[in-house]
Amino acid sequence: MIIVNNRDKVEWHEGMTVQDVLDAMGYDYALITVTVEGTLVPEDDYGTQTVPDGSNVGLFHLAHGG
Amino acid sequence: MADGKINITINGIEASVQKGSYLLQALRDNGVAVPTLCHHKDLTPSGTCRLCVVEVEQRGKKKLVTSCNFPVRGEIAVDTESERVKTHRRVLAEMYLGRWPNVPLIQEVAAICGATDKEKYRSELTDENPKACILCTHCVRACDEFVKERILDFAGRGIKRHLTMPFGEVDPHCINCTSCAYVCPTGAIEIVDDMNNPVNPQMIRDFGMKINAEMATLDKDQCRMREVGTANIVDVMDAYDLLPVHNYKFGSHPDTKNIDSKILKAKYFTQDHPDGCWKGCSMACAKAVDGFELRTGPYKGDRVVVDGPEYETSAAGANMGCFDADFIVEWNFYCDTYGIDTISFGTCMAFVMEAFEAGVITTEHTGGKELKFGATEAVMECMHEIAAGEGFGVEVGQGIRYLKEKWIRELGADADFLQDIGMEVKGLEYSEYVSKESLAQQAGYTMAVKGPQHDEAWLIFMDMVNNQIPTFEDKADALYYYPLWRTWFGLHGLCKLIWNDIVPLSNKDYEPQVAAKVPDHVEDFFRFYEGMTGEPLDEEGMLAQSARVHNLQRVMTRMLGYGTRKDDMPPFRAVGPVTAEEYESRAERYDKQLEELAGFDMKGKSTEEKMKAIREYRMDQYNRVVDAAYDRRGWTRNGVPKIERLRELGIDIPELVEIIKDDQE
Ligand code: SF4
Ligand code: SF4
Ligand code: FES
Repeated sequence: MIIVNNRDKVEWHEGMTVQDVLDAMGYDYALITVTVEGTLVPEDDYGTQTVPDGSNVGLFHLAHGG
Repeated sequence: MADGKINITINGIEASVQKGSYLLQALRDNGVAVPTLCHHKDLTPSGTCRLCVVEVEQRGKKKLVTSCNFPVRGEIAVDTESERVKTHRRVLAEMYLGRWPNVPLIQEVAAICGATDKEKYRSELTDENPKACILCTHCVRACDEFVKERILDFAGRGIKRHLTMPFGEVDPHCINCTSCAYVCPTGAIEIVDDMNNPVNPQMIRDFGMKINAEMATLDKDQCRMREVGTANIVDVMDAYDLLPVHNYKFGSHPDTKNIDSKILKAKYFTQDHPDGCWKGCSMACAKAVDGFELRTGPYKGDRVVVDGPEYETSAAGANMGCFDADFIVEWNFYCDTYGIDTISFGTCMAFVMEAFEAGVITTEHTGGKELKFGATEAVMECMHEIAAGEGFGVEVGQGIRYLKEKWIRELGADADFLQDIGMEVKGLEYSEYVSKESLAQQAGYTMAVKGPQHDEAWLIFMDMVNNQIPTFEDKADALYYYPLWRTWFGLHGLCKLIWNDIVPLSNKDYEPQVAAKVPDHVEDFFRFYEGMTGEPLDEEGMLAQSARVHNLQRVMTRMLGYGTRKDDMPPFRAVGPVTAEEYESRAERYDKQLEELAGFDMKGKSTEEKMKAIREYRMDQYNRVVDAAYDRRGWTRNGVPKIERLRELGIDIPELVEIIKDDQE
C-alpha cells in the first residue's frame, strides 16, 4: 500500500513507478510536484523511478486559475 | 537506462542525454563549449549564423551540422574540435569580422574561433559601426515568440538582407514592448524613451523579460493560457470533481466535453494573435470568436465578435446544466452587450432552475418558461427580459437574496431549503468552483470582503487535493497569507495570472509548501515594485501594505451593516450535500468521512440520518476553521478587527475605531 498526500491509499504492485501512482490517482494535471519520502522526483524520472511498498508519496498540485 | 535518455559520445567520451534535445544544449550540459552567434537560450533555434557547427558521425557517415538546431534522436559520435570544424568556424568568423570589424560581440567570437585578420574579407559591405545589426534574428524571434507580434523581419536577399518593419516604415502595430531591444546583442536596436518614469527601468525590464521568456517556452506545456486562455480550467475542474454542475450539486458531468477548451479551440476560437488586457502582455490570454451568428434577441441574425468564453462563463453554463457551446458563446455575447456579469447571472439562474425543478416555483411564476436545468432557450429569453426590464427577468435580475426573500414571503417557500441551495453570501453570488471538499476554500469564499468570489483565496488544490494544510492553524495561515497577497495585486493594478498560471521550472526544486507560493515569481513582483518606485519590498512589507487595506475594507463593511460572523456563513450547498440525490451521488466519500473522521456508527442508518450527521460534522469543522482564521487575522470571534490590530497597522484613527468599538470582546 502507498500513502498519497498523507491521506489517500493506493494499492502497491511490484515495479510500481511514480507515473503508475499518478495514473492510479487519475492525476494528469500539468503543474504537479512529486516527492517520495519527502525527496523531490524530477519529472524526467516519473516513468522510471520505482516506489517501494509502504512509501509516502506527495503529489502536490500547484494552484492556477482562481 | 532512464526513460527518454540516449547515449552519445562527445569528443570520445560517453554521455547520456535527453532524447530529442538539441545537440548544443547537450554539449553545454556536458561542459563542452561551442561558439555561437544567433543562439539565444529563450528563443527557438534558427540556425542562421552556422558558427555552432560540429561534426556528427552516424551509421559510419560523417557530416557537419549546426548543433543549436540539431535534435539528438539516435546514437551519434560528436566531434567539436575536428580540423574540418575548426576551419569552417575560423573562415566564417573571418567573414563576420570583415563585415562588422568593430562590433564587440563579433570580435569576441572571432577571437574564440582563432580569426584575427580583419582585412581578409573587408569589402564594400564592411560596416564600421560598433552597434551594427549582425542579422542574428534575435529581435525577429523575440517579437514573434515573446509577444506574438510579427513587426520585424528581414527584407532583401543575400548581401542585401537587412532588418526592417513592413514596407520600411514604422509599424503602428508595434506595441513598444522593447523585447527586441532587450535581446539585441549589439545595441542596433535601442530604447530611446521610457514611459511612466520608472525609477529603475532596467530592473523592470530584466524581470519582465524573464516572464516573457517563460511564456514563450513553458506555457505550451503548462496552462496553455496563450492557446486557449482560462478555458483550460474547465477541463481541469471537471477532472477533479470541482466544476459546478446543476447549482453546485455535482462536480463533473459527462457532457463537459461539449464545452471544454478542446471544443472551444477546435470549433470556436478564431483569433490566434495576442489579445491582452494591455499592450505588451506576453500571456495575452483573452480569446475571441469571430463571425458568430446570433440566434436570439435584438441582434438576431447578425454576425458578431464575441470576447471569450472564459472559464467562469463556460463553468456557469455547466452550473445551469447547459452543456452547449453555441449557447455559451451567444449567452456570453449578450452578457457583455447588456453589461451583465456571467458569474452572478449563471449562479442565480442555476438557483432558479433548482427551485423550479423542486417545485418551489412553476411556469406560473416564470412567465411560462420551463426553467429546468439545460433549458438554453428559456435562459436566453430570461436574459433578454432582464435587459428589457420585463416579466420574470425583473425578478431574476435582482439576484438570489432577493428571490429567496420574495419566495419565502409570498409563496411560503421552505426557508431552510432556499437558504441551503441559494449560493450567495453577503448578497453576492458564488463564483464557479465547488468548495464542498475544501474547508479552507469554504472559508476563503465566505470571508472574502465583497462576497464569495475566489479572488482573495483559491485554496482548493492546496487543501482538498494536496492535503498540505491539514490543521485548522495551517488553514488559518493560508487564509491569512493568500488573501493579503492577492489583495496586493489589486492594490497595484497588477494581473495575478503571471504569478501562478505560469511557473518557472525551478519551482519544482522547492518544498511543496514553499512551491505553492511560487517564490521566484513573488520576488519578480517585488522587483517590479522596486523598479517602479525605488523602494525595495519584501514579504513582510507586502503583507503590511495589504493588511492595512484589507482591514480597512472589513471595517467599512461593518459600517455598511455587514462584516460580522453571521455575514460569513455559507449556504450549506457550499459545505456539503443538501439533497439525498447529492449525498448518494458521492456516497462513498461521505460515508468514509463519517466513519473515519466523525466516528459515526453507520449501521442501519438511512440516508437522511447520514445527511444530518454529515451536516453537523461539517458545520462544526467550518466554524472551527473560521475561529482559527479570525484569530490569525487579529479579528474578534465575531469577525470584527480588534482595535489593537488597527493600532498595529497604524490605522487606529478615531473614525475607524468609532465604527468597531462596540464590537470588541
Ligand atoms: S517593441 Fe515589441 S512589438 Fe515592437 S518590434 Fe520590438 S518586439 Fe516587436
Ligand atoms: S537588430 Fe539586433 S537582434 Fe535584430 S538581427 Fe540585428 S543584431 Fe540581431
Ligand atoms: S548558433 Fe547555431 S546557427 Fe547560429
